[in-house]
Amino acid sequence: MATAIYVPRINNNDDEVKVLAFDVAIGSKVENGQIVGQVETDKAVLDVTAAAAGFVLGFVANPDEVVKVGSVMLWLGENVDEAIPEPQETSLLRSTAKNSEITAKARLLLAQNGLQAELVTPIDGRITVEAVERYLAAQGGAKAEATKATESRATDVLPDVAGNQVSLSREEKGMAATVTWHRDFAVAGYIEIEYELGTWVEYAKQFQDKNGLLMPPLLPLMAWRLIQIAQEKTHLNATIVGNKRYEYSPVNLGFTIQAGEALYLAVVRNAQAQDELGFVNALGDVLRRAAGHNLKESEASGATIGFSSMERWKVTRHIPILSPHTSLMIAHAAGQGGKGVLGASYDHRVLNGGQVVAMLKKLAVPNKN
Amino acid sequence: MSLNKEAIEAAIKARIVEIAAETGDDASELGVDEIIPATGLIDSTGLLELIAWYEKTYQIPLAQEEINIDNLGTLARMAEFVLRKKGLI
Repeated sequence: MATAIYVPRINNNDDEVKVLAFDVAIGSKVENGQIVGQVETDKAVLDVTAAAAGFVLGFVANPDEVVKVGSVMLWLGENVDEAIPEPQETSLLRSTAKNSEITAKARLLLAQNGLQAELVTPIDGRITVEAVERYLAAQGGAKAEATKATESRATDVLPDVAGNQVSLSREEKGMAATVTWHRDFAVAGYIEIEYELGTWVEYAKQFQDKNGLLMPPLLPLMAWRLIQIAQEKTHLNATIVGNKRYEYSPVNLGFTIQAGEALYLAVVRNAQAQDELGFVNALGDVLRRAAGHNLKESEASGATIGFSSMERWKVTRHIPILSPHTSLMIAHAAGQGGKGVLGASYDHRVLNGGQVVAMLKKLAVPNKN
Repeated sequence: MSLNKEAIEAAIKARIVEIAAETGDDASELGVDEIIPATGLIDSTGLLELIAWYEKTYQIPLAQEEINIDNLGTLARMAEFVLRKKGLI
């Protein structure tokens, strides 16, 4: 069966690249990993390598031609006489009923990484960029940058002590992917301040009584305050991709919850679109589903900012790991003498200490307007 | 599973005692008419655990607006709410 070699992405901002040259000829034999050509943008040149061994059947692109990232560059076959498939039947960019559930950006990302869509677990029935990135992260690296980062790591080996290898649960794999992203990308810092607990407790009590809520709403209300602040200060709801800051449009609030042995980051998407009570109820909904291990995929992914508390265990300090593609995770903890503790893990590539302290001081006081 | 008020109250109380024990609290003296959140025996995470267990055990999916003090604030109210949802009272 013929194998396509796709036009790779050089950087996140260029959806088209120029084919510079091919290093192979039609009919020549190619080894897996062999350089077959080069593409360029005005910023860089990149070697294109074969993802499989085979014989060159033909070129779809031509030298000096500007082509779309993710389109087919050339075809390899198991033998020299194999026919080149019709483009509409084989291209990852094709439009068929089967892959109409794949977003355009996800298709490009699949092509860029030489992946088949079948490998990726959809999120709520759709293969999105997020779903592809999650697959890549689970494989130990994502995108070209991540691959480079992980390649430099030593390969782990089994300890020389008797034991059993146990497969990770979905939640454990998610945790491993989060920690790997934090290790490979974020430049994490941590800052904390004390705050007057009484002011927030009083505000939450009044809110609870006014709305007849069963659940004490202190932490949801603090999370809501964070969302308000993040709308004012867009750096807080952002990440770094390449050499640019990527400021998210929605505020997707991730809130950690321990449910039995599993730790979830339950996500309220488009949280900024809710009013205060609406958000408290929406967060209550997803947290309740997390407690029952019934989160939907979209409720367990896509956080753009995070909130975590270990106050229930009377922990006075904890330094959370940043969720992938976020720059801020609040660390709420127990204080002493009428004080509470508000900390923040942050990605120093996106935020500096002054910005984080200013945010924490705002978060320390309810917005009563 | 017995679906009479006292049995439901006892089952819920047993679960609350378990949840409270996770954070080192003893809920064994909890009365049927005490407002559960006001006792401080279980926190908001514990309440979430309790409600998730309650929905699953009694097979009564809850809408967010049903999760309030009037319906679920005490052991007695939680038991009555199960019976009401099941059409038994």
